[in-house]
Amino acid sequence: MKLLKLEFFKCRRRKILLVCAAVLAAELLWIVSSFLRQDAEDLIQGWMLMLYDLAMVDAIILPISVATIASRNCELEHKGTTLKLLETMATPGRLYGAKLTWGALVLAVLLIVRWALFMGVGILWQFPGEVPWERFGLFTLISWAVSMMVYAMQQGLSLRFQNQAAALVCGISGSFLGILSLLFPPALTRCVPWGYYGLLSLVGMNWDPDTRFTWFYWKWPASTDLVLLCLWAALFLLVGRALFVRKEV
Amino acid sequence: MNIIETHDLCKQYGNTLRVAHLDLDVPEGSIYGFLGPNGAGKSTTLKMILGLVRPTAGNIKVLGKKMDGANRLSILRQVGSLIESPSYYGHLTGEENLRIVQTLRGVPEKNIREVLQIVRLDGQRGKKVAHYSLGMKQRLGLAAALLGYPKLLILDEPTNGLDPAGIQEMRELICELPGRFGMTVVVSSHLLSEIDQMADHVAIIREGELVFQDTLEALHGRSRHHLALRTINNPVARAILQEKSVSCREEEGYLILPILTDELAAQLTRLLAERRLGVIRLEERQRSLEDIFLELTGKAASL
Repeated sequence: MKLLKLEFFKCRRRKILLVCAAVLAAELLWIVSSFLRQDAEDLIQGWMLMLYDLAMVDAIILPISVATIASRNCELEHKGTTLKLLETMATPGRLYGAKLTWGALVLAVLLIVRWALFMGVGILWQFPGEVPWERFGLFTLISWAVSMMVYAMQQGLSLRFQNQAAALVCGISGSFLGILSLLFPPALTRCVPWGYYGLLSLVGMNWDPDTRFTWFYWKWPASTDLVLLCLWAALFLLVGRALFVRKEV
Repeated sequence: MNIIETHDLCKQYGNTLRVAHLDLDVPEGSIYGFLGPNGAGKSTTLKMILGLVRPTAGNIKVLGKKMDGANRLSILRQVGSLIESPSYYGHLTGEENLRIVQTLRGVPEKNIREVLQIVRLDGQRGKKVAHYSLGMKQRLGLAAALLGYPKLLILDEPTNGLDPAGIQEMRELICELPGRFGMTVVVSSHLLSEIDQMADHVAIIREGELVFQDTLEALHGRSRHHLALRTINNPVARAILQEKSVSCREEEGYLILPILTDELAAQLTRLLAERRLGVIRLEERQRSLEDIFLELTGKAASL
């Protein structure tokens, strides 16, 4: 707990709030501009359209955002060569855990605010049908879980390499691969960690080539995909932690 | 009692043994100078003592307890350290940096103000550390090490990169610590003159091996006096000295003899004159600490 509090203390003036605000602003702009291009008929399934679009936008925006947040938190240890001081007062394993928990809390707050923000957008837009509080809540939970899997990888990279370019290039590649992988067959998408934003979407889409009509439907994530998500997260966590703990400072 | 004891301590990187079978004994209450040229293995040794680097072989006792993974942090609660460059968060103020260490060490908040006063940084506590000079960062590093008033302070090259005034100030700070707070200080340096002015015990390390360990007084004791004699024919003079059972060796055109009594020296010069051997020079010499350092490490006194 002490170490976790210190992570928040250390991130003073690191503009984490600004990064989070930029993420929310980018997603909001993207979704709202997409809605503005739709006619009233398309917005009959407004809630589903929103969740479908958000999953796609997440696949593009969240990988680089998560990489940036992780990098902002880890870079400060490299800059001031602080690990050789910290590791005389705490074990590397606990330091790693505190950083991961900090990331989990920041991402949780970011996604909860996003949940409230987009629920507000849907209500103000007066989308027809019942307000899908629970579905949106579950979607937020899934976004958080996928982001945590990506965060575990990014933290491992940011702590391993002093030069943050490696971690950020990985984040940028993730943003590209995340959306690109949704065009792959599902078996291949499962091999791309950033692809899980779209893979675990709660909304599916059908398109009739004859009528050129698109409609959305609710779906549940496949249990196989959830298990694979956990395995990816465990892999990134264990490898990242082991590399950090073994590293001599 | 020794506050640090290492036995057969080794560290191997690849095929190179960077620290080789090191047996250090640091007496409690001393300022222990750990001297050696750059790359001799000083930082690696100090990091091993702090548990930041895993030894390849050997064992370490700190404050009478054998260091291992289980008790490392509990022992280090009584140890302050400043290894290589100072550790700091540049975007935080000096005081905020110390608050992090204070929280982790679980020491009273008032210690922050006290240590800032000790290192004379109390006027700069609200300034971001990124805007500190190198000397101020070093002093902040020392303040962080002092925060819990540890029994043992390990300082690795604390004057590196400081200007002469900064070096003098840091040296004064270090010298007053044992007397003022009862601390034992281990200070490493590649500068013999620096250790000579601060330490009372010295260890000299060369390519990972311990080549000297004793009091500074004993090191000074090695700088013994001798006589240097030069004649017009040194080989003949050498034979005459041997006749008189005076040991000598030739070095750079001089015969090096032990210190002789005035009577014996006079007798020898008279004898050389009688044998028609002209004496060109007869000098009394003393080996400097630099010469001893050079002899022990095979390198110049400051590298």
